[in-house]
Amino acid sequence: MDIGNIKKHSDRNFEVAQAKKNALEKMRSRQLMAYNERLFKADAYTINLVSTLRQHSKDFYVLDVNDNPCHVKDPNDFLNKLIERNQETLNSYQQLHHDLAKERK
Amino acid sequence: MTTGVLMYCFDTPELNYHSLAERCVEQIRKYLKLEITIVTNLETFKKFKPLGMINYKLVENSITNTRPYRGKSVAWYNKERALAYEHSPYDTTILMDCDYFVFSSTLLELANTKFDMMLHDRVHDLTGKDMIMGKDESTLPLVWATVTLFKKTERTKAIFAMINHVQEYYPHYRNLYRIRYTNYRNDYAFAIALHQLNLGNRIPTPMAMLADSVDVIGSDDDGIVFKYGNNVNFTSGQDVHVMDKEWCNG
Repeated sequence: MDIGNIKKHSDRNFEVAQAKKNALEKMRSRQLMAYNERLFKADAYTINLVSTLRQHSKDFYVLDVNDNPCHVKDPNDFLNKLIERNQETLNSYQQLHHDLAKERK
Repeated sequence: MTTGVLMYCFDTPELNYHSLAERCVEQIRKYLKLEITIVTNLETFKKFKPLGMINYKLVENSITNTRPYRGKSVAWYNKERALAYEHSPYDTTILMDCDYFVFSSTLLELANTKFDMMLHDRVHDLTGKDMIMGKDESTLPLVWATVTLFKKTERTKAIFAMINHVQEYYPHYRNLYRIRYTNYRNDYAFAIALHQLNLGNRIPTPMAMLADSVDVIGSDDDGIVFKYGNNVNFTSGQDVHVMDKEWCNG
């Protein structure tokens, strides 16, 4: 492969990597979720935490993104909202990822 | 409890900020559906096309500041922002630059939480070139005043009083925090006030940005298309701060 082609590959890979980075930032931003006047990220960590605590207690406290305590009185409702938002953002990311994978071929 | 958007918009001899504000209003209406107040001067107000239900507040603005823009020094009328606490008619205010374009409802999520003041402390350069954050610009934990959410509380009142004080004695604070740039920037004034008072929350995700060397070449109500060097890229469903001030001029 000549250096011109290698350069083309390099440029395209940079663009794809950047598009992926932008899409991930967008996804993280869309995962921000208000609940009980506190701010959470609907990410795997929060979902796992709420899911685990729910198995031990009907209500409990968790820390939001600013380390403020939030009283979760209805864990099922909170968990459903977290999962819904998480999957909504991941679906949108998956679509872009699929398009980028096609572009790489 | 009322929530609304407050914007400051003053045309300068070089740049038509009112065109940006008109576009910004369209996006706010689509994604946030909030009441909007625009603080402007009479000269700029006359240039606005009819935008429907908007609250206008006319002021006589300070015209003493400048900024670098695409290799030139241009006028920059940014000092009125320090009066946002008095100008805002809302309990919860989303104070927004007219070059910040919303393409999602993320700001509504933020507005529905408990805080005194919340703003970004990180940026994400959409081109991947890291053209926005300079190195060693000050000794201050920098925040971006581009989007500032605040509630009317005693603590926020103190923050704005401090911002006004910093503006008045800016040369002193600039020396104190070793700020490299000589012009007055709200980002620094807000950051100094929050640092002095040890208040304020940070928006946990970085602000997506396009530097002033990036041209916006197209847009619809879902996103924008931008060009830098030989590359063309786009955003979709993502709020973005665009530093190209001329893209809405047609």
